[in-house]
Amino acid sequence: MMGMWEWITDMGNSKMVALLLFMGTFIGVVIFLFSNRRRAQKFETYRYIPLDDDDSHREPVARRDKTESDEQ
Amino acid sequence: MSQAATTAGAAPAASVATSEQYNYAIIKRFAIAAVLWGVFGMAAGVWIASQLAFPFLNFDIAQITFGRFRPVHTTAVIFGFGGNALFATSYYVVQRTCQTRLWSDSMASFTFYGWNLALVLGVISYTMGITQGREYAEFNWQIDLIILVVWVAYFMVFLMTLLRRNQPHIYVANWFFMSFILATALLHIFNNIEVPVGLFHTQSYPIFSGVQDAMRQWWYGHNAVGFFLTAAFLGMMYYFVPKQAGRPIYSYKLSIIHFWALVFLYMWVGAHHLHWTALPDWVSTLAATFSILLLLPSWGGMINGIMTLSGAWDKLRTDPIMLFLITALAFYGMSTFEGPMMSLKSVNALSHYTDWTVGHVHSGALGWVAMITFGSLYHLMPRLWNVNLYSLKLVYVHFFLATIGIVLYITAMWVAGIGQGLMLRAFDQYGNLAYTFTESVVFLHKPYVVRAIGGGFFLAGMLIMAFNIAMTIRSGIKAEAREAQAASAEARTA
Amino acid sequence: MKHESVETNAGLLIILTLAVISVGGLVEIVPLFYIDDTIEEVDGVRPYTPLEQRGRDIFLREGCYACHSQMVRPFRDEMLRYGHYSLAAESQYDHPFQWGSKRTGPDLARVGGKYSNEWQVQHMIDPQSLVPESIMPGYPWLAETPLNYSDIDRRMIALKRVGVPYSLTEEEYEANVEKFGEEHARMFDIRNAEDSLVQQAQTENFDGNPGTITEMDALVAYLQVLGTMVDFSEYDDGHFAEFR
Repeated sequence: MMGMWEWITDMGNSKMVALLLFMGTFIGVVIFLFSNRRRAQKFETYRYIPLDDDDSHREPVARRDKTESDEQ
Repeated sequence: MSQAATTAGAAPAASVATSEQYNYAIIKRFAIAAVLWGVFGMAAGVWIASQLAFPFLNFDIAQITFGRFRPVHTTAVIFGFGGNALFATSYYVVQRTCQTRLWSDSMASFTFYGWNLALVLGVISYTMGITQGREYAEFNWQIDLIILVVWVAYFMVFLMTLLRRNQPHIYVANWFFMSFILATALLHIFNNIEVPVGLFHTQSYPIFSGVQDAMRQWWYGHNAVGFFLTAAFLGMMYYFVPKQAGRPIYSYKLSIIHFWALVFLYMWVGAHHLHWTALPDWVSTLAATFSILLLLPSWGGMINGIMTLSGAWDKLRTDPIMLFLITALAFYGMSTFEGPMMSLKSVNALSHYTDWTVGHVHSGALGWVAMITFGSLYHLMPRLWNVNLYSLKLVYVHFFLATIGIVLYITAMWVAGIGQGLMLRAFDQYGNLAYTFTESVVFLHKPYVVRAIGGGFFLAGMLIMAFNIAMTIRSGIKAEAREAQAASAEARTA
Repeated sequence: MKHESVETNAGLLIILTLAVISVGGLVEIVPLFYIDDTIEEVDGVRPYTPLEQRGRDIFLREGCYACHSQMVRPFRDEMLRYGHYSLAAESQYDHPFQWGSKRTGPDLARVGGKYSNEWQVQHMIDPQSLVPESIMPGYPWLAETPLNYSDIDRRMIALKRVGVPYSLTEEEYEANVEKFGEEHARMFDIRNAEDSLVQQAQTENFDGNPGTITEMDALVAYLQVLGTMVDFSEYDDGHFAEFR
């Protein structure tokens, strides 16, 4: 146990330690995102935040010819 | 009412509500400043590019020689054009996605005047020869302090607005903006620790020397690219691409992975600017490894942005603003592939110190940063002034001028960089150097001319944008005056 | 910890982001300060004299680093073209470093002594008169502008604060005599910096104009010392390889 701590705190091994920490965290984030279907679905609802606010602006020229308009 | 919304009469009611709910005044100022700095900075770029092609353009005038004017160009485009655009879009995005007004109008206004004051002082001081001699951090120490104060104010405004949000979730674009603000603060402070010669003396000396100073500078230099020119503009992308497309981002989960991977990896790669130098080998190798890894989140983000359009590709045919945004993502993908490749030590041996690096920077800066900014500003401007864009045709013209300019620029720099790299390492049959350095300079003349022309195309596009936006704003101000008149007439009759 | 609490809590988001972005920088930069082989022990490397340091300030002021690197890489072509590859020790008194990032012109790490003072002066005034193909701007004003050296002692004090061993006391002076020899140690003494600067400019007369000390004097003095401090004939061929 002590040996492991010595290895971790040795600055010469800092690159390896940081890499392991990063890989661990990264895999953790991925597992967290994909492990639970309900959670995953909840995340995907956040996609709509930019489209939620009411855009009181008149339709810009650029969007005149599109089919689905967001203000009816 | 729904029909009336498209006529001139009913719109003001809604717009008054929006401009009261949100602080648009500050965004307008930053957006205009971004366009002006863009014109100035790109003109400065064409100027110094022409000096390299035709050195007589230095005219033996100290203030406009290449060495003093190059930081004018880099500062004006990165911090002037890019910086002001980031202030504008981050203030817009944070208000719209948190559905709350920006915290403290006066603090926000302070960031505008402070930031632009620092930039103007910086540009003037460079031409006078006042510089720290650190690339992309040439501001002398007094200006550094102004920037620091402004940045703290920016952080406060952004954070307080986040805290006052009416939306439980913090949208991912704001994460990118926040990481950009934090990282830039860290970089700016650490890279500018200097000991001044005196309180009223412009000269200062950095606390580190040699190897340590080099490592610190390129840790700063590369993360200025990573956080200022990438993370922040990704924040822009995560709002304006979905908004302009009228569709949500392709995958929110992917955006979370993208964020954490990018934020972690970027900080490691700075040392790839110092391959084969007197820097210890292990730092170089580490940086090269992480540079390769960086390809993954970069392309994850690109795919996330482009796939937002999946099923609605026809928008690219009808909407030039979308064209800007998607082309920006394509260039982002290209330069984030080129970057890791150039960080390989064997490739770097050839490419480093040549124009290939300059070309790579510009494929990122013109292709990604400027293109995504153009798209976002074209989306933003009509909304801020509550009018239609003056001319959609001119947006097309701008797009094609910019694209031609970029292609000319990058190709010329590939030819110049690879050509010079090969010439300098060539040996004749007796094992002597095949070319002198001067011969390689002669070879560079033609690519340099083409590069200056490419830059000219890009600048022409920028001028057209400035015109288009000026006309848009003018019609916005006119419409506002008309409406005010109509309202007062109505009040009188009532 | 739940990711939800991260994305709904601005403070937590900030702390985590800061932690994540700090790791990379710390792991790469911190070890450079205490790993022994970052900087080799080499004889001959010394601080710049007052005149050379003023020349260095001018080198920075004119933005020379935008086109000239000062870092010879360990490749056969570069060593043939420029000389022995650069050592970390050679820039240990460089505040800031000037390794550069682009060679629009040739590397300058070992330009010292390659050309005569007259050549350097003429080349600065009108580069195309000596190298017709050159795209370097001319710097004629350097030869006409008198060097401002009234603040040289203050500049040296600032440099001393960041670690350059200029001397302010008798004790520090003696230490410098031991390390760099008496001739140099006198140059590094802040107490008579102005005299040393004037003396060096007048005896070596870099710009060929003995009357006034110009900015050209200082710049040429700096260029002529670049890369000349280490005598590589004293070391075996493979000696420095172990530090790479």
